[in-house]
Amino acid sequence: MSQVREPAFDKAVALVLRVGAFGCFFIMLAGLLVEFFLPGRIPHAIERAGVLLMLATPVVRVLVAGILFLRERDWKYGAISFGVLTILLLGAVFGIGEH
Amino acid sequence: MLSALLVLLGFFAGLLGALTGIGGGILLTPILALHFGIPIRQAIGTSLVAVITTSAASSSVHLQRHTTDIRLGMTLELATALGAAVMAYLVGYFNRNWLEGIFAGFLLYSSITILARGGKVKNEELPAHNNGETVIPPYEPNRYPLGLGASLVAGGLSGLLGIGGGPIKVPVMYIFMNVPLMVATATSNFMIGVTAAASAIVYYRRGDILVQIAAPLAVGVFLGSLLGARLAPRVQTKYVVYLLVAILLYLAVHMGIHLFTGGTA
Repeated sequence: MSQVREPAFDKAVALVLRVGAFGCFFIMLAGLLVEFFLPGRIPHAIERAGVLLMLATPVVRVLVAGILFLRERDWKYGAISFGVLTILLLGAVFGIGEH
Repeated sequence: MLSALLVLLGFFAGLLGALTGIGGGILLTPILALHFGIPIRQAIGTSLVAVITTSAASSSVHLQRHTTDIRLGMTLELATALGAAVMAYLVGYFNRNWLEGIFAGFLLYSSITILARGGKVKNEELPAHNNGETVIPPYEPNRYPLGLGASLVAGGLSGLLGIGGGPIKVPVMYIFMNVPLMVATATSNFMIGVTAAASAIVYYRRGDILVQIAAPLAVGVFLGSLLGARLAPRVQTKYVVYLLVAILLYLAVHMGIHLFTGGTA
């Protein structure tokens, strides 16, 4: 890497992504199965939870990396991470009430 | 029935994406718009969910191989996320015909560039191995202003078209920023999730993500890309790439006809 390689750092970030991807997969699969046997509002709510988890996964990934940078006292990349986080959350504000 | 069809579509897009190295978004958006009658803006928003799923699953693998430059990725994400969020916001003011026209042009452009490179989409280089560990030569990324500028454009395209933007980020990091190709590929993959999320959040708030479509797609894409990643070393990629180009060209033409007949074809 450009800096020192930090396997533990990579592992923590990979864990966030894997939990998000697998979690989303199983939640959505559950939604589809429920939809098949019991159509209606419940499967829709489960699927929505899956979509929200997927949208949240990259946000959590940025947050976790930011905290890890700060714990390493790497202020520069900590600040960059929280900059990215701000942009992600601004995106949520931009979309309000638009159709 | 519809859900089963969508799982199948996602599976196919994920498989083809993993085999050829392109993201699934470029296939999913036009197919949703043309064959499932979904308005193009909602097709873009919905396929973004599948793009995030693919990125999360595949970049967790790259991270475990320690080939991702998290610092570089995070820095460039400042630009990709900004470009993606702003463009996703602007798309709310674009009319359907503009979007379909831009998308048709992009499909045509992609298929021509793949053909021009002799059917190569993957930028692979053989990693050096040492006791089973992947060895990366030391490097120092440079030309950050150029990298950030290109990332802004890649992010904008992602927000506009619901794609990952890897074909822009990988060559910029590799050719201009002095980053080894293997690291550039892994880092681009890593950035796609955050880039797509920046625009997907805006699409979601606007009601442009159809949850009941996104769920079966994501399930299919997840399974398809897992299988594709395992098959990739054993499959003759050349023929798969020609299949991909044929599909892209077909979608470009179909999108053009759809545009000029006012959505009746």
